[in-house]
Amino acid sequence: MSEPILEMTDVSKRYRTAGGFGRRRKGFLAVDGVSLHVERGEALGLVGESGSGKSTLARMANGLVVPTSGTVRTDGQDVACLSRRGLRRLRRNVAMVFQDPLASLNPLQTVRQTLENVFRAHGETTSTAELVALLESVGLGADYLGRYPHEASGGQLQRVAVARALALKPDLIIADEPTSALDVSVRAQILNLLADLQRDQGISFLHVSHDLAVIRLYSDRVAVMQRGRIVETGPSDEIFRSPQHPCTRALVEATPEAELPA
Amino acid sequence: MPDPVLQVEDLCVSFTSGGVTADVVRDLSVRLDGGRTLAVVGESGSGKTITGRAIMRLLPRGASARGRIVVAGREMLSADERELRRARGSDVAMVFQDSMSALSPYLDIGAHIAQAVRLHDPSVTRRAARARAVEMLDRVGIPEPADAVRRFPHEFSGGMRQRAVIAMALVNRPALLIADEPTTALDVTVQAQILALLRELQQEYGMAMLLISHDFGVVGRVADDVLVLYAGRQAEYGSLRDIFEQPAHPYTAGLRAATPRLDARLDTGGERTRLRAIPGAPTSLRDAGPGCAFAPRCGLADQVGERCVVEAPLPTVRPTSEVGGLHLAACHLDRLPALQEVTR
Repeated sequence: MSEPILEMTDVSKRYRTAGGFGRRRKGFLAVDGVSLHVERGEALGLVGESGSGKSTLARMANGLVVPTSGTVRTDGQDVACLSRRGLRRLRRNVAMVFQDPLASLNPLQTVRQTLENVFRAHGETTSTAELVALLESVGLGADYLGRYPHEASGGQLQRVAVARALALKPDLIIADEPTSALDVSVRAQILNLLADLQRDQGISFLHVSHDLAVIRLYSDRVAVMQRGRIVETGPSDEIFRSPQHPCTRALVEATPEAELPA
Repeated sequence: MPDPVLQVEDLCVSFTSGGVTADVVRDLSVRLDGGRTLAVVGESGSGKTITGRAIMRLLPRGASARGRIVVAGREMLSADERELRRARGSDVAMVFQDSMSALSPYLDIGAHIAQAVRLHDPSVTRRAARARAVEMLDRVGIPEPADAVRRFPHEFSGGMRQRAVIAMALVNRPALLIADEPTTALDVTVQAQILALLRELQQEYGMAMLLISHDFGVVGRVADDVLVLYAGRQAEYGSLRDIFEQPAHPYTAGLRAATPRLDARLDTGGERTRLRAIPGAPTSLRDAGPGCAFAPRCGLADQVGERCVVEAPLPTVRPTSEVGGLHLAACHLDRLPALQEVTR
């Protein structure tokens, strides 16, 4: 078996907090000694309540957040040892999709400019034909190239954000609540799109979400976080069929189902 | 039959900007009795929030409402400011999604609730109002209420703040509570607690509740009846059971199919289950043509043909499994085929 696309060993992150006058700064331990890996071609779901540290953990995977201790190896490379150039190379390989597409796209740039900038940042040029093919791979027509973010709907913008993530053919996509800001009827479109990319292009996913039902359907494996630690991990069917940790059980029981009460 | 707590007849809400007037809600009729919960379900542009605000007469600048809204016997659309002041809080109260913006950062929690009490009845002393606040915080499950009244909003967690807002809304025992996405900003475990609390208080006070939500999971937990809105119009209305078990509008069926479920079939034979997505994006009434607003996204529009594009369907009566129940759907199809065909 080849080595995992992402491997985090005993990773911690302590944020400094503003200490009051004369008060000692203890900081806030957002992630507390977590080990986790994502296999090639796998979709790993990361669930937990707000403040459990799942977004911090996800951001450490591509160097957006620097861990206080522990090692992060992406594609076999130790992220901490990378130079600026090395980090740049890393981010070709590890792309990110955020929750709010309107906030993550520049309102003053057309879709074409947004996509071209990705190539330019990595010293590459691109053709219109390539950009059109890129948009088509996320289900958008060529007419979107000239549009500004305000001229598209939330679902269309999230497709643009996915296209941007796909531009440099990454091996791993980190998706942090990619569908929480979308309408219910559109959410399924984006989730299906991500699932297709995993199946057809072999892209690995680290999918962060607070929605257990989404993770249950779209992840191979699940890790449950609580107060900075991973409390339970395993194949998604197993975790949801028989949750072991009280935290997982509480989450499963609290998840409202679209069905009639018994 | 007793008078309903809320009666809405042919409500239209329109926005005027730059000399152009456009409807955002059209021909909405609702009837809600005391002790019942009606869920208003819809996506962006469906007009669900604006409907809730129209009932409170809290419409944004440039918006106007026509038709008829009666809350606890009071005509809301023709009421003057003084009457509205009396109605808000005692007849109808509202809980919003974002509890932080419903509270003043400069006032402690007790002051918020006491103010609501004294605004409604100036003869209540400050001390008595403060005591009511403690009582109410206790009722909504805030631990150590005598201490909690002195705390400020930022000292509370999101769930506790939402409890405080509920205490504030319910302190004058309104006949109708409008809850606009009250748990959307909360974690699932906290959401479950807040929903249970709302349900409990609603039963205890015998009040009517209008729950505005985009989430069928939330709706399933608290609603008696469901109103599904699409692009400012009523798509379907019925009991929770009818809406879930025999939806008559393709949009309702599609929304249900697009909602992931935790208990989804586990034996999928290797291939992962996929949700059935509805193509396209939700529209608003402004962008809809003369026909059915859902037609461009509907998998069944071809079967009906021309009619869906040229004529907006009116709500018509559908089969119901409830005794004396009402089930309405605005679709040209008399019967919905199996789900597979609805969402291709």
